[in-house]
Amino acid sequence: MWGKNVVIVMGCILLAATVNAKEHPGKEQILKNGYHGPKTCEECHPGKAKEFLGTVHWKHASKVDHVDNLDPNEEHGMKNRIYTMCNGNDIVNNLKEVPPNALGKTKFTGCNSCHPGDHASDVGSTGAAAEQAIDCLICHSLKYDFSKRKAVKDSSGKVVMTQDRSTEAAANIGRPTIKNCMACHEAAGGGAMIKRGFSMAKGAEVHVTKGIICVDCHQVKNHKFPTGRDPNNWAHDGIYMTCVGECHTIKPHTDADYNRHTDKIACQSCHIPKTGGAFSKDFTKWEKQGNGFYEPSTLKREVNETAPVYAWYNLTVSNTPKFIGPKGSRTDGKSKIYPFKVFQGKAYYNKKDGKLMSMDFAPPIANGDSLAGVASAAKILGIKDYEPVPGWQTIYFGSNHQVTPKNKALSCANCHALNGVLNFKELGYSVKEVERLTNPELYFEKLLKLQQENE
Amino acid sequence: MKKILSIVIVLALTAFASLAVVTNASAEEFKMTGTISKIELAADGKAATVVLKDTKSEASVTVIVSDELTLDKFKDKRIVEGDEIRTKYDSEGGKNTSKMFKKTAGC
Ligand code: HEC
Ligand code: HEC
Ligand code: HEC
Ligand code: HEC
Ligand code: HEC
Ligand code: HEC
Ligand code: HEC
Repeated sequence: MWGKNVVIVMGCILLAATVNAKEHPGKEQILKNGYHGPKTCEECHPGKAKEFLGTVHWKHASKVDHVDNLDPNEEHGMKNRIYTMCNGNDIVNNLKEVPPNALGKTKFTGCNSCHPGDHASDVGSTGAAAEQAIDCLICHSLKYDFSKRKAVKDSSGKVVMTQDRSTEAAANIGRPTIKNCMACHEAAGGGAMIKRGFSMAKGAEVHVTKGIICVDCHQVKNHKFPTGRDPNNWAHDGIYMTCVGECHTIKPHTDADYNRHTDKIACQSCHIPKTGGAFSKDFTKWEKQGNGFYEPSTLKREVNETAPVYAWYNLTVSNTPKFIGPKGSRTDGKSKIYPFKVFQGKAYYNKKDGKLMSMDFAPPIANGDSLAGVASAAKILGIKDYEPVPGWQTIYFGSNHQVTPKNKALSCANCHALNGVLNFKELGYSVKEVERLTNPELYFEKLLKLQQENE
Repeated sequence: MKKILSIVIVLALTAFASLAVVTNASAEEFKMTGTISKIELAADGKAATVVLKDTKSEASVTVIVSDELTLDKFKDKRIVEGDEIRTKYDSEGGKNTSKMFKKTAGC
């Protein structure tokens, strides 16, 4: 089931969480000689820049072998995918200045603004210039001045991304913090918490409350980032991870009544009962903002307001123009029940071939004209034969973060009561089985005892 | 059965929501998009006074920000003077307290 060159790592967050920040041994030399980009780091860490160019964070793509209807020899990712959370990609929405809006204002926009290069060396570029363009400090500096990272026009009129390359930033190196990662991950999907809708603030997530951060769970080796099987996170560095590893076994509870479920129900189903963010967008209608620019109209909720949909998932993905989500069933012997945030997006389809079209956002941002955006994207991609018609796409996003305090994890009655969160019938249980699964006999004594203990 | 239960829940929630509105009635909520003309962090770092220029009316509005995440963004300059932001704030007795403070963003 796993791809050929895929390793499964098991992170141990508990160990890592107790390590204290220590001074970076390169500090003195950097203070003395200043910071001149990656080559400064490479004096002591040779090969790191070249290594980084081969990762998803630089390429925004990788080969993908668990998703339907993809050429397994091509690379796929934010570089070239098209879906309706963000109806474009790095190619059609290459960083650029949008035309002036009615108030005469312009701004820069582009998907690849979330790329740790300088845009002159862009997504997937290679060679010496690319190596020296990497923004090592956006992930590694504890004193990064984020106001220095922005799109500007250089003296020749080309749009570039600037970086904080100050000695001050380079002298404060450490393991990436949540803030470093969130520099890009927080606003994925068009604004804070829009796509994933999870908060990584202390108090909102049990691990973070204990001081466990992104890279404690995502144990990065040689800049390869372990990831999971979210049906809409295709690109990967060849390393997969789940909740089960060195920290948690598949039977982590002292209470056997919970452990009996873990063969069929993913940990996330009980432990991540809510997420939030956008649940629907319409890219055919852009809304005018107070500043004269337009944004795709978006319905959204706060981080803890959206209950997931639960579905069987065997870690392979159905990918059609109208649906991107989990495949699996109760009976295939491989699936577990996982929680998903369901998202529905409206955009243009090509009537000629039924495919979802992409949009260059520059025209609609300036004047709301979404069809001009489609025309511009079609031109960039060399698509001549098309007739845009609006239509809806449904996408499932895995709920894999924001583990709730254990007293809020789903307990027996959350699922086995008649108004439980699972739709047993839709999940493939027979009428007779549903009767049994919703019979209080399953949990009555247990919950009564718990209630007595707590009273 | 399922329907009846959920209706009961909805009713309960509605009742709760209207109560919440009543208790808050003395403060009025405003929304605006504006450009930051000044950020002043309090000495203890636990609050900031932000002066905004309303994008539409060009009027100057001062809001107090005290949520940790946003303060942190001021500190490491993820939000700086000149940035355009969207805010929701409560206004009571001439004091505006921010409830939401985010940079505007496309997709
Ligand atoms: C003068 C030599 C020197 C320079 C220059 C230098 N480093 Fe280091 N760095 C070290 C040594 C020595 C270690 C500790 C040995 C190890 O863990 O491999 C280290 C460790 C690290 C670590 C691991 C830190 C941790 O807490 O886990 C990171 C990340 C790192 N360096 C990044 C950088 C970056 C980015 C630069 C460029 C801005 C840089 N280094 C420049 C010598 C240097
Ligand atoms: C603020 C940073 C940021 C911007 C801007 C951004 N993205 Fe992304 N995008 C991310 C991150 C981070 C991920 C991966 C994590 C995730 O999906 O939560 C991602 C993932 C994706 C994926 C899934 C890739 C895969 O491997 O399956 C697509 C498609 C995508 N983005 C499209 C876009 C499009 C189109 C735009 C521009 C219109 C855009 N993104 C702009 C940060 C960004
Ligand atoms: C997208 C974020 C990101 C960028 C950009 C990045 N790194 Fe890293 N790097 C990491 C992470 C995550 C780790 C693992 C940290 C850990 O778990 O302690 C790491 C580890 C390291 C280490 C220590 C471990 C090792 O592999 O030797 C060094 C040295 C390092 N990076 C140097 C660099 C240099 C030099 C650059 C720029 C050319 C760079 N990094 C760019 C995220 C990044
Ligand atoms: C410069 C922006 C940026 C920064 C900083 C950044 N990411 Fe990402 N990250 C992205 C984008 C964009 C993608 C999606 C690329 C795609 O799928 O095509 C991504 C994808 C990922 C993925 C899934 C793909 C993979 O490589 O496994 C993981 C996991 C991830 N990031 C974790 C992190 C962590 C942890 C940090 C902090 C050390 C971090 N990222 C910092 C932009 C960033
Ligand atoms: C408590 C451990 C933990 C922490 C902390 C954590 N992650 Fe994850 N993350 C996971 C696991 C486990 C998965 C994969 C789950 C699966 O697919 O089964 C995952 C998946 C992902 C993915 C793939 C898309 C998705 O949402 O499934 C991205 C991107 C990612 N994490 C980024 C981050 C970033 C950025 C941070 C810090 C802000 C972070 N993670 C903090 C455990 C963690
Ligand atoms: C059927 C629902 C369910 C599933 C599936 C489930 N859990 Fe739990 N888990 C719970 C509940 C409820 C609690 C709180 C129990 C309590 O406090 O007595 C809990 C408690 C825990 C605790 C805290 C234990 C302690 O003693 O403090 C951990 C850790 C944990 N689960 C991890 C996992 C992992 C890892 C998985 C997947 C292998 C998983 N759980 C799957 C419902 C579940
Ligand atoms: C996330 C929802 C969920 C939670 C929480 C949950 N269950 Fe279940 N339970 C299920 C599902 C789904 C099945 C059927 C699994 C299968 O197909 O084997 C099941 C099966 C069972 C069965 C076997 C029933 C049979 O006759 O096959 C028992 C007994 C049971 N659960 C008791 C409990 C108890 C006791 C608790 C609380 C400690 C609990 N469950 C919590 C979803 C849940």
